[in-house]
Amino acid sequence: MNRFLTLPLALLSASALAHTPPPSTAHRTTVDASLVATWRSASLVDDNAYWQVPGTMMGGHAWPAEKGAQVDEMNLGLSHRIDDDLAGVLKLGSHAGGMDDHSGVELEHAYIVYAPGPWQLQAGRMSAGFSPGLAQHAAERLASEAPLALDVFFGRHFHDDGARLAWQGNQGVSVGAEVWRGKAFPATDSNDGGAWDLFAQYQWQGTALTFAAGGWFYSAAAEARADHRYGGGHQHVPVAPPGQNTAAFPDIRYTGDTDIAGVHAHLGYHLNNDWQLSLQAEWMRAELDGTVHDAIGRQARLDGSQNGGWVQPGIIWRTHTFAVRAERLSTENSLVGPAAPQLATESGLANPDGHVPRRVTALWRWQWRPHIALRAEAIRDESLPAADHRFNIGIVWQQQIWSSTDR
Amino acid sequence: MHADKIAVLFFLGLTLLLSGCPDSSTTVDDQGASVSDFDWQMPDWVPLPVEPAYNPITEEKFQLGRHLFYDTDLSANGTISCASCHQQDKAFTDGVARPAGATGDIHPRNSQSLANAAWLRTLTWGNPTLTELEQQIVIPLFGIDPIEHGISEANQNQVLARLQAKPAYQRLFLSAYPDQTEPLFNELAWRNIIHALASFVRGMTSFNSDFDRYTAGDSQALSAAARRGMNLFNSERLECFHCHEGYTLTSSVRDRRRVPNIPAPFNNTGLYNIDGISAYPAPNTGKHELTGQARDMGLFRPQSLRNVALTAPYNHDGSVATLREVILNYAAGGRHLTHGPYAGDGRMNANKDPFIVSFSITEDEISDVIAFLESLTDHAFITHPRYANPWQDDASQDPIP
Repeated sequence: MNRFLTLPLALLSASALAHTPPPSTAHRTTVDASLVATWRSASLVDDNAYWQVPGTMMGGHAWPAEKGAQVDEMNLGLSHRIDDDLAGVLKLGSHAGGMDDHSGVELEHAYIVYAPGPWQLQAGRMSAGFSPGLAQHAAERLASEAPLALDVFFGRHFHDDGARLAWQGNQGVSVGAEVWRGKAFPATDSNDGGAWDLFAQYQWQGTALTFAAGGWFYSAAAEARADHRYGGGHQHVPVAPPGQNTAAFPDIRYTGDTDIAGVHAHLGYHLNNDWQLSLQAEWMRAELDGTVHDAIGRQARLDGSQNGGWVQPGIIWRTHTFAVRAERLSTENSLVGPAAPQLATESGLANPDGHVPRRVTALWRWQWRPHIALRAEAIRDESLPAADHRFNIGIVWQQQIWSSTDR
Repeated sequence: MHADKIAVLFFLGLTLLLSGCPDSSTTVDDQGASVSDFDWQMPDWVPLPVEPAYNPITEEKFQLGRHLFYDTDLSANGTISCASCHQQDKAFTDGVARPAGATGDIHPRNSQSLANAAWLRTLTWGNPTLTELEQQIVIPLFGIDPIEHGISEANQNQVLARLQAKPAYQRLFLSAYPDQTEPLFNELAWRNIIHALASFVRGMTSFNSDFDRYTAGDSQALSAAARRGMNLFNSERLECFHCHEGYTLTSSVRDRRRVPNIPAPFNNTGLYNIDGISAYPAPNTGKHELTGQARDMGLFRPQSLRNVALTAPYNHDGSVATLREVILNYAAGGRHLTHGPYAGDGRMNANKDPFIVSFSITEDEISDVIAFLESLTDHAFITHPRYANPWQDDASQDPIP
């Protein structure tokens, strides 16, 4: 029974360095695989429509939920320890996208780790380590869908070329810094693009209580950043079936800085061998200072402050986890310039009704087998002004499918 | 303090942060870009044009400019006015390949429509430096190659005296320039004339065609043939829309909302290739005429297609008689002239725009495209009294040649 508890526990305690291979594993080489498939009762937006949360400029891989069954993600990872301090990691991943040509296989991780003592240096293509929420994928989260704040501020998935230097003290304190080339939203990898971040975390474990909390600061620069979900290249009006209308996606760009600061915490309380309580939360605030513009020379200055986050209380009974994730976003934008009214509308920054995006997810996750979990979710989605309700049923498979122990 | 207390305090703080998220709002300030005291006679969705700060448009200047525009006394020998080459019923073109000036000089280029000139990034066929109407109007009035109105230092006082003698101008100039004591007699008189003419041309707006009604939501405003033609026009096969886009149907557009960050467009459409290495007949070499750069040979500004059915003949020298011929030239990927002084294969012109590639098109499809182009005609514009000759009923005024 207790071994089944390890996965829910791990889900609730994802650290900022979740993607780093364990430094003391006995295995020299491991191959891990995961697959997440979900059936959803409804699509968030209509066919040939775009998902644009009012008051925000979105991008990256933040696709809307789609009706029906789909593979949310597939991952295949290889980790190889070269010696006690040095390891290499490769990971291929595929994520469901809103259009057929956006769901290919990507090389998400290709990095080396050098970890002498309390220090850890990573370099290559990797996920961000500063935010535990951002480091999690659908297989690792309780909910199948990414938090709204991460969809809006980071485009859901964050994989970039960069380097990380982290220090882990023996009192539960860890700190680190990362620099990024800028391939991941909201940065660009142009001459004046790129990103960097700082993070710190404290972990404490008592007899019954576990506690982790941290803070981070991320700064990105972008040049003519497009919403690559729908725009960014040569495009024309999408083809809609007879009788249906559609419109070309307005290719509005952003050039400027995005500074995001966040805090996160996780509280776990072990009632007895069968019962645990947990509480997770992360909050972040983005400051946007730049220019929105388009190909025909229209532009407007943007000064934006956007807040987002979620609270997720949960209760764990043996292999079952019941939780509710409550999310909220707020946006305050100011656009100034001759084309400000049009660019506000076309970029998605306009929010004429002062809509406050919210989402509530009630979920149940059952670790049915050591490597297989089932989950069901009921979601009230108010990311758009019209509320949407949907039900999800999914399966999660995660397994180390091969390892060598020749050390 | 114990860690469990720290944890509780931390969570309380985090919960406060989340619960304290402010409401959402977006404020927008267009810095007055959508405000104008002038009645532009156009729909709200069209952005206002750029006005130079030194010559803000007023109704009084517009009306003075209209009188001057139609006045043959504004030429050296009293034979032509602006309206001689820019006639309202032809969307302010003249229907001839190349017009004649006051002294008989033939202009090397075809008269352009003045409709929506206020939105153009550059104002002539090939000059990338002429961006203000106030600059451009000096050329037909005072230019000598070719001579158009024929006004010069030698005769400018005589021309001015003819205007000063007309009673109507006393009132019109004072209304247009109320801060000047004698605006037709002082040292600013010629500047005032040019600014008034620029105001009239700037105020010529044409956004009332069947195509406009269709795009505004009247699905019956376009015939079936015109709708088919519109789809062809906007197709990747014909590629027309790349250079004739947006509300002005030209890529050479600016307005109060735009700060163009690319050079004004000029394109070579493969009309000539007289020496086999891309030359156009002089002096009509387009942007090259000013820059002298070989890469600018044959580059001309993409024209607005509004009212295009009324503005034949076509191209910079009026050498293409009909819209059908224009479409056939594009379908061939350029014009191949097999005989005559300008013989050459324009299809092989090295400067030709990448969008000018050959495409197949049937006669029915050509008819459809022409039906669409005809739907761009603004019949109200070509008959509107606001733009018409104000001297029609004035017996003292010579009829327009």
